[in-house]
Amino acid sequence: MNKALVIDDARTVRQYHRELLESVGYAVHEAFNGIEALEICGAETFDLLVVDVNMPKLNGYDFLQSYRERDDGHAVAIMVTTEARPDDALQAMQAGANLHLVKPVNPETLKQLAQLLRAEEAA
Amino acid sequence: MPLTRSKSPTRSPLQERRESGRGVAELIAQLQSDDAMQRRRAARDLGGCVDALPALEHALARETVTATRQTMLTALMSMDDERVATMLLPMLRSDDVALRNDVIEVLQSLPGLVAPHMSSLLEDEDSDVRIFAVNILESLRHPDVPRWLQAVIEHDEHVNVCAAAVDVLTDVGDVSALPALDRLPQRFPDHPFIHFAANMAAEGIRRGDDA
Repeated sequence: MNKALVIDDARTVRQYHRELLESVGYAVHEAFNGIEALEICGAETFDLLVVDVNMPKLNGYDFLQSYRERDDGHAVAIMVTTEARPDDALQAMQAGANLHLVKPVNPETLKQLAQLLRAEEAA
Repeated sequence: MPLTRSKSPTRSPLQERRESGRGVAELIAQLQSDDAMQRRRAARDLGGCVDALPALEHALARETVTATRQTMLTALMSMDDERVATMLLPMLRSDDVALRNDVIEVLQSLPGLVAPHMSSLLEDEDSDVRIFAVNILESLRHPDVPRWLQAVIEHDEHVNVCAAAVDVLTDVGDVSALPALDRLPQRFPDHPFIHFAANMAAEGIRRGDDA
């Protein structure tokens, strides 16, 4: 089973993304901020990360840069931001994101992306 | 380094400055040092010294070392002066995510200084600033927090500002928030997440009320 890590300081967002990803067959873990996410990534390997930007302690950009420096930091990363500014997308990509989505994430978009990833993994 | 305000220092910053033999002018000059450790020590020793507020503001704007910046913010937290809030609030517009988060954390610890600014923050034309204002409310110990959050979900037109407020209400909301939470999905019929979040918050409040 593919594994996803949802990283967001908002409990409602974590639960929403969890339910969407579980509905397309992912086993989902959650982290409250970048520090907690790095700790979890030290113990588990993930196929997909859904990463918020604005979080306390360690924000999404800094988390993802640290994660990408790890030997096993290869999961597909979707960065989610609250606005659709070009700078946000650029900064997300520079931090190591594969995709950039704007909150609130369209449920069908997230599910289709997650399913696409699973299909690619299986191919 | 945690941004924790000392409630009962055994020695005042002024006493410590006297004991260390360094005067305020010397410490302010040291804030401009090329050595981050020297800047950090100067900021630490200037805690509580309102005369150093302009110098700390200037130094904070230029500081790039996280630990030194956090020490400067901690020094500002120890000053019970309304100019601290006035100085920090514009930093919510910074493009530096880490600085914004540090500033939010400091402002959360200064309810008396932040409260007079909250209404205007929540009406800011920049939706990101309004979201950061809601983030401040998450840990602000002030009796008006539930009222401010309810006003956001009743009137703010930006879906993510309302989403942020709903998330905080899952922790601090009470039954008085239920009518506004029940109405919120009607304001954003094209956003399934808002339906989900409002229901989650309302269910949590109802469960808590039953307990």
